[in-house]
Order: sequence, then C-alpha cells, then structure tokens
Amino acid sequence: MKRGKWLLAFAFTAIIGAGTSQLHAASIVDEWASVKAPPPPPVKEVTLDPKTTALVMADFVNPICSHYPRCMASLPAAKKVLEAARAAKVLVVYTSIPKVPIAAVMPELAPQGDAPFVQAFTDKFLNTDLEKVLKDHGIKTVVMTGVSSNGAIIETSSEAALKGFKVVVALDATSAATTYAEQFVAWQLVNGPVISPNITLTTSDMLKF
Amino acid sequence: MRRKVSRVFTTIALAAAAVGMAAAPAFAGNVIDDWASIKTPPAPQLKAVTVDPKTTALLMLDFMNQNCGKRPACVASIPAMKKLLMEARAAKVAVVYSIIAKTTTADVIKDVAPAADEPHVQAGPDKFLNTDLAKILKDKGIQTVIVTGTASNGAVLFTASGAAMRGLKVIVPVDGMSAADPYADLSTAYTFATAPLVSAKSTLTKIDMIKF
Repeated sequence: MKRGKWLLAFAFTAIIGAGTSQLHAASIVDEWASVKAPPPPPVKEVTLDPKTTALVMADFVNPICSHYPRCMASLPAAKKVLEAARAAKVLVVYTSIPKVPIAAVMPELAPQGDAPFVQAFTDKFLNTDLEKVLKDHGIKTVVMTGVSSNGAIIETSSEAALKGFKVVVALDATSAATTYAEQFVAWQLVNGPVISPNITLTTSDMLKF
Repeated sequence: MRRKVSRVFTTIALAAAAVGMAAAPAFAGNVIDDWASIKTPPAPQLKAVTVDPKTTALLMLDFMNQNCGKRPACVASIPAMKKLLMEARAAKVAVVYSIIAKTTTADVIKDVAPAADEPHVQAGPDKFLNTDLAKILKDKGIQTVIVTGTASNGAVLFTASGAAMRGLKVIVPVDGMSAADPYADLSTAYTFATAPLVSAKSTLTKIDMIKF
C-alpha cells in the first residue's frame, strides 16, 4: 500500500518532469491555443504609374472562384480595380491553373483583346513566361487580385517580390476559403523575411492609377 | 472525353484543396475590418511518417548563427534537429543545406553543421530560385523532402511550397522549423495542413514521428 503510493508519487513526478521538458522543446502545435493574432498590418493609399504597373487577375475562373463564396463576394472589388486599370491603360494579366482555359474567367471580369494569360499552380512564375511578359512591358509594380490568398496570392506575390518587383495587394479583391487564411496571409505578406520590403497592402478604394 | 474531364477535376481538386471548406462568411469587406473577430482554428493533426531513405532528402535551411542564433525558438530546436540529422545520416539520407547571401557554411551552428560531402545552396527564402537545388535533388533521385530550418514564414514556407509545385512530397516537422514570432510558426503550420496544392503534397509531423 505504502509502496503503491510511492510509485504513484514517482509516476506523477515523472509526468510533471516530462511536461516541463516538453515546455522547453514545445512545438507550435503544443502552443497553438495561446498564440494570438498580431494587430492588423497597415493598409495604405497607393497611386501607381500606369506605364510601369500590371494588374494580375489570379484564378478568377469557374470552378475555382465560383467554388469559394468569399471569392464571389470579392468580384465587385475586383471589377472596380479592373475598370480603373483599363481606364488608365494598365497592362492586365490573367492566370488560371493547368487545363482551365482563359474562357473560364468569371464573366464580370472577362478579358478584353489579347490579354496575356498564364497557367500554373500557385506560383504563376514557375514554368510560365510571366516574368518575360512583365519585363517586356517595362513593368516594375504588380497589383495582385484573385484567389486564393494562401495559394496564388502569397506564392506569386512573394516570387514577384524576390524577382525585384514592387507588389501591391488589393485585400478586398483577394480571398480564400476562410477569413483565417486571409488574415495570416495579410500578415505574412508584410512580415515575411526579404519579401516584405517590396509588398504593400491596400484596398480597391485606396488604389489609384 | 470522360477521362479528360476527370483529369480536369483532379487538377482543380489539387489546386483548390481547400481548407476543409469550412463555412466562411461571404462579406464584401476586407480582412482588416474583420481582423479582431477572426478565430484561430483548431491545431492541425500531426502524422507519423516513415520515409524511404533512398528517395528522401533532409533540407537544413539557414541554420547559421546569424539567423538561427538570434531566434530563441531556433536555438531551442537545435537538440531535436541534431537528433534528426544524426538519424538521417545513419540511414544514408541525402542532406542538403542552405545559407543566405553574405554567409558561408562555416556560419552554420556547430551541432548541426554540414559534413564535407553535403551540398548547399545560397539564396533568399525560396531556395529553388536561381540555384541548382532542383538539379541536386533530381540527380539524387529525390521524391520527398523533409524541410527544416528558419524562418518558418520564409525559407521553410517558400522552399517547401516550391518543392510541392515541382512535384516533390514534403514533410514538415513542426519542431524543426522556427521563426522570430510564434504566429509565423502557427500560420506556416496551418498552411502545410490546409493551403491549396501545398497541403495535398505535405505531411505535418514532428521529429519523433519521423522514421527512416
């Protein structure tokens, strides 16, 4: 009996000990519930030079955009940016994923003329001529709109930033399956090592050409 | 025809492998307005994984004193990383290092320093960009990469997603990646568990759950 109690105490101490050592080497999954979102990042007024700016319309296609309610809700903001870009004769580039053609772009945002179009998974520069298209047009700044924040938007924005482009992300014209994904991507874009100095967050109302 | 359609849908499913399709409000504002009301979803499940040593590479990203040494979470990860590195070497798994501009492999923290025959690449957060990393992996017949290092929201995020986009399988041990801010670790872990394309290719695990 006495011995049983001693064993129990020993086991308890061992558990505490294990818990303590786990604290030191705790992974983010152990700390998950205690990590709070930082304050929102700054969203800025931006005026861009139409001659050196391109608007990227990322994956506004059926059935990607049509699959995400928040993408459908972002269409008016995207349309506003698109119309402002066209009025200023800004280069507009469309993207989709492999096997989904440009004809699948949502009708509200349908391309005009022979708009450049690239097909790739989330990094729209990978194995496409997007970089060449931008450089051939003398582009220095890309405005990102589209879906999804945690796919095409973060991957293409970060690659553009690493290739030396300035990147402006129109938050209300981007979307993901969840607000949570949109939130951490907004934070990652302007806090990521190396990429953040080249990336600015804005909205369709705060963006002028 | 039917086959073509099904392939198209497979492609879409991969690209849109969406975040559990959790119901999200369809509002027409921006995420900054809703910032304070957004709840953190539950932690993703970690999975045990057994890898084939012949076709797997361990990527050791930016463990230099200049990067890792100034991030307490990275310094704290070194004992576990040393264990993983020793196990990988014992199993003859390929080990590839990265460093950033203006550093050398001599700057890598001693406990996890590269052996003489282990290759390295030098780049910003995407270690595939303007390096021969893709070629190094291809020449070794690598199909799976275990991605570790710092920062979670830099080298780990963009190199692992770059690997996924190049058709490699990705294994990320949460206790092998670190950043200056725990929110960066959390959002990066969540990305591997849920983001389009990347999540379909990735397994989120921890060092003790990786077997060679």
